[in-house]
Amino acid sequence: MSTTPLRLQDSSDLLDNPSTRCACMLVLDTSGSMAGAPVAELNAGLQGFIEAVRDDEIASYAIDLGIITAGGTVSEVLPFTSASAIDRHQPLQASGQTPLGGAVQLALDHLEARKAQYKANGVAYYQPWLVLISDGEPTDAWQQVAAQSRLLSEQRRLVVMPIGVQGANLSVLSQFSSRPAKQLSGLKFREFFEWLSASMSRVSSSNSTSASVSLPKTDSWDSV
Amino acid sequence: MNANTTIFDPQGTPRLLGPELASGGEGRVFPLHEYPDLLIKRYHPEVLAKRGPELRSKTEVMVTLKERFRSHPVSWPLLSVFDEQRQWVGYTMRRAQGVPMFRLAHAMAYVKSFPSLDRNQVVAYLRSLLAALNGLHRHGVRVGDYNLNNILCQPGSAAISLIDCDSYQLKVAGQFFPCPVGSPDMTPKEQHGRAFSDIVRTEESERFSVAIVLFKCLMLGRHPYDIVGGDDPVNNLQAGRFAYGRGNTGVPKGPWFNIWSHMPHRLKEMFIHTFTVGADQPEARPSLNEWDLALRLYQVEMAKGWHECAIKPAQPKSREYRGSRSMAQA
Repeated sequence: MSTTPLRLQDSSDLLDNPSTRCACMLVLDTSGSMAGAPVAELNAGLQGFIEAVRDDEIASYAIDLGIITAGGTVSEVLPFTSASAIDRHQPLQASGQTPLGGAVQLALDHLEARKAQYKANGVAYYQPWLVLISDGEPTDAWQQVAAQSRLLSEQRRLVVMPIGVQGANLSVLSQFSSRPAKQLSGLKFREFFEWLSASMSRVSSSNSTSASVSLPKTDSWDSV
Repeated sequence: MNANTTIFDPQGTPRLLGPELASGGEGRVFPLHEYPDLLIKRYHPEVLAKRGPELRSKTEVMVTLKERFRSHPVSWPLLSVFDEQRQWVGYTMRRAQGVPMFRLAHAMAYVKSFPSLDRNQVVAYLRSLLAALNGLHRHGVRVGDYNLNNILCQPGSAAISLIDCDSYQLKVAGQFFPCPVGSPDMTPKEQHGRAFSDIVRTEESERFSVAIVLFKCLMLGRHPYDIVGGDDPVNNLQAGRFAYGRGNTGVPKGPWFNIWSHMPHRLKEMFIHTFTVGADQPEARPSLNEWDLALRLYQVEMAKGWHECAIKPAQPKSREYRGSRSMAQA
């Protein structure tokens, strides 16, 4: 299995629904060490997230969700799809090493492509999000793509949120963003994804694409 | 007593709160258990720690003015509230009904929130908004931060209500309280580059923000400075780059051109003027009364069948155009 080639999807959804968008890309570590309880909790949290965003009317119009996994290979599990059109996701399996560098590169490419589609169709968009969850660190080349991602984060062109699960190298994950990586408390994936869906709801109902959005507190899922 | 379920009125009487209605960046809103038509806004502890004293003095001034706004459609602060330690934590206000204008000025959400919405209804809400704003301006109050989540529209009527009023700018009895919030894409260029609490909102700056609100409501939530192939809206705003009107370059695919074409000539000219010349020159911006007149004439002309009433007209306006021959010559 090789990495999924970059492909531009049909953008007719932008004509049917021209409301302001927020592209939300999840890059998930599905390496061997995530097998068992961690990936089970991740799957449960992810399903909860999909349902919550789909059931919030305004968020369902705004959120375009994409999912890329890094477990053995880099795989695009879900190309950018409107939250209103996602029913359930295929549970993720965990095995192999952690090609996080390649996964983030693919994520950045797809985010750029989706932004280009928004612009070409005259659809307004909120600052996109990249959520990066890992219980370790990249086993492939990552410094260059981390610098790219961090620059976008510093320029406020991309919200980059690195989350470390038990065993993660937080200082490496922090290099991908202008904000430091947060440590997930235990396996509180459900709580994290509840927080993420609440944050997406706030972004989606934000009055302006240029105002900063105040996010809910993270203390339900992070460990200080 | 649970800190989350009880507050104390100025006499020290405990009042039980109902379930939380909303939570935002500044605080949480609860109904009073006894009188659910009264709401309490309780600021977050960290907000009080940073700005408690200034929030309290502003609120207390607003409370002294409450009789002036009794008949206005505004959820004005009525009374201060305190915690168990007699610390000031927020205020009460009248509960307002309605659906946020955010869902009206939205390409998709209006369908569920405003069944059988048409342009007559949209214009009626906008005229109610202008009347409410004039009411505030007459008393030295300026809204500053025009957030469509804070304007509630009653489905099936023309009524609107303004909520979240503690951020308004007040100039009254020799005291001045700024509006500390806003967003650059709703703010005229002459006020960019400074903290919002350092800006003094003027008639002219209000006119600019209001024009953006009117445009968004008439154009399915589209921001006037969103241009296909153009820059970021804030940059377009600063440069006065407006896609509609002469040349129509940068108008996106979809219903936008059709909708624009069906608006009366007078309204289109006012938008063009405000968003090009008016971007740079505050004095060039039409007043709220001029907008109200233009909207009133739009209603009259729609009633005569001169303009399309559907929210999303299927076709652009035909060449045979009567809109420029209006009842009152501009």
